[in-house]
Amino acid sequence: MHWQSALRRFLIPSLLLLALVKLYPLGLSVYLSFFDYYLPEPERRAFIGFGNYGALLSDGRFWASFANTLIIAAAALALEFAVGLAVALGLYRLPVGAARVLTVLIFLPNIVTPVVAGLFLRWMFASQWGLIAMSFALLGIPPVDWLGNPAWAKVTIALADSWQQIPFVVLVLYAGLQALDRDTIEAAVIDGASGWKLLWYVILPALRPVILFVLTIRIMDLFRLFDAIYVLTGGGPGTATETLTFYTYRLAFQFLEIGKGSALGVLTMLVITMASSSGSTGLATCIWKPAFKARIRSSARP
Amino acid sequence: MAHRVKLATSAIRATALAGLVWMSVPAAEAQVVLKVLSNRYPATEFYVKAMEEAIPGVKVEVTFMPVDKVLEQSRLALSQGSDAYDIVYVNDGIQQLYAKNGWLEPLDPLWAKYRAEYKLDDFPEALLEKYRHQQRLYAIPFNANTMLFFYRADLFKEKGLQPPRTFDEYMKAAQALNTSSMAGTAISLKPVDAAQNEVHWYLNAFGAQWFDDGWKPAFHSAAGVRAIEAMKAMTKYAPQGFTSHANDETTVNLQQGLVAMGIMWNTRAKPMDDPTKSKVVGKMDWIAPPGGGTKMALDGYAISRFTKKDKDLAFRVLLIASDEHRMRQAAALAVPVRKSVLGDPELAKQNRFYPGLLAALNVAKPLPPLPEFSQVGEIVTRHVTEAVTGKVEVKPALDAAAKEVEALLAKRGYYK
Repeated sequence: MHWQSALRRFLIPSLLLLALVKLYPLGLSVYLSFFDYYLPEPERRAFIGFGNYGALLSDGRFWASFANTLIIAAAALALEFAVGLAVALGLYRLPVGAARVLTVLIFLPNIVTPVVAGLFLRWMFASQWGLIAMSFALLGIPPVDWLGNPAWAKVTIALADSWQQIPFVVLVLYAGLQALDRDTIEAAVIDGASGWKLLWYVILPALRPVILFVLTIRIMDLFRLFDAIYVLTGGGPGTATETLTFYTYRLAFQFLEIGKGSALGVLTMLVITMASSSGSTGLATCIWKPAFKARIRSSARP
Repeated sequence: MAHRVKLATSAIRATALAGLVWMSVPAAEAQVVLKVLSNRYPATEFYVKAMEEAIPGVKVEVTFMPVDKVLEQSRLALSQGSDAYDIVYVNDGIQQLYAKNGWLEPLDPLWAKYRAEYKLDDFPEALLEKYRHQQRLYAIPFNANTMLFFYRADLFKEKGLQPPRTFDEYMKAAQALNTSSMAGTAISLKPVDAAQNEVHWYLNAFGAQWFDDGWKPAFHSAAGVRAIEAMKAMTKYAPQGFTSHANDETTVNLQQGLVAMGIMWNTRAKPMDDPTKSKVVGKMDWIAPPGGGTKMALDGYAISRFTKKDKDLAFRVLLIASDEHRMRQAAALAVPVRKSVLGDPELAKQNRFYPGLLAALNVAKPLPPLPEFSQVGEIVTRHVTEAVTGKVEVKPALDAAAKEVEALLAKRGYYK
């Protein structure tokens, strides 16, 4: 035990670094959120208590950005989970060798830097001469204003993020599938379960921890989504794709309202904490709670 | 295990000691490196290269960014008193804020010192005035930019149309030239810079103003409402996605023949005749924008007050890069500001767009010299976009923008 307690000393540099890069900025941000602080005029910084929070919560633009965040996050999360699960299940059914090769190829979008991805997606989504617009034109499909229409701009952001993050979802779910107890699945097959029933009553409940993990991570990331919005739409058209994070960026870096930006950052952090802890559990429960009830009912039948 | 812990601890101590020894060894003598933050377009790329070649032994490291990102980056760095950049791009608008906050080095002593050697009287006083704050000079102008009216002369001739001088003529021409494969006119409403340029033109062309003499918003006047109503009407002839179009998208649209006309910076005129990029070589022509009043910007470079480098050296690099010879070479890329170059009749012969450019310069108007104008621009363009896309009626949108702008300026102490 003596050597184990000695090892704790090796944690000190990491803890110090963590405190420096995580805790100090967080603490400073919380501290500054109580001040009216316009960066070019530091001498006029004044303590206003919860004034920034009150101003934000009574600001229509805050609620609009909150709504935009929810809409984009919900759309992207649904798409990423549905497609990610479908692809993971497909890979699960393939021979190991083929699955490994495909996994590498599928994962490629995830290793592209988000800003780089955003830049070429911007040219793909450009109206009239973008790759997607030209492809639609060749198929006789009426063109879509991907970046200029407020509704379609939200869809475009969700699609852009999904393109990059579905591989991550695939990877995690596929790893979870590979770790499943094959005996349980075989027993269910012998009992007559197949296809949809096998998935709903056996596989998904068994994947619960992995699903929880991937949903939590994606919810946190989606609420902090910035790169795709910055490159593709700049928060526009108007404020159609201005999310909480983007509004924070505008306040702090464009308007130099450091106090208000910090307050919005703290509010965003609280929202993300609540959303990721309750949202992922609730979602995961919705998937298999009905499945569990059905299983209990069917096993209770004589 | 205890032995392994001791070995690991010893290894860490040895590494740390080696690092300390390495850091204490004096570095080899380094050449002077000036860090430049600049907006990117062909003229600035040319001038930054000229800075790199200006003085032997002086290296220039440049960070190029789009204009709104440059301004954001420089604001952040300078507001913190950082020496991250020695020379920063400024325009006549943002220079006001930077000079007011004491972020830029006053250049008057150096200007007087090198006046004769670098022929600094060749810079028009009217332009230098744009870079003064409380009578002190803070930047060197490199080029003047304005927005010209680009139009497809071949299509106008085909349809028997005259180049539009008024807004009514502009609208009729856009309607006549609008087809399923080509939009009648370009409109760039991407937030914030592009949208601000369009709004500035429309307001001026309809006789509206941004502010009154007391810095109270005036853009929501009857003239301002007419201006934005006209913009809303013109969007019928704009290409799809115009709310996400900025300089690059509109330039591509013009080059590819996807729009028949529109306003764009003079720096984008020459590329219209570039056969490697343009499908409309020799077909584009230029005039002053209908109604006049497009944005005029004076681009230049200033020296950060927080630089630790020799400011005299940095100043000389800027002067050499902007000498008459180099400005003459860059004249095809942007409007030179030295009198000896701008007045050269040979330039008009070499560059087709020069007559249109000079006409546009005569009627161009700078943005209001308000240090907080970038925030004002964001507020106004946000509401204008909502009005133009039909989300809100024009008058209520402009009134809401005026209320927000007035609250902002009141907070900044503009109203006593």
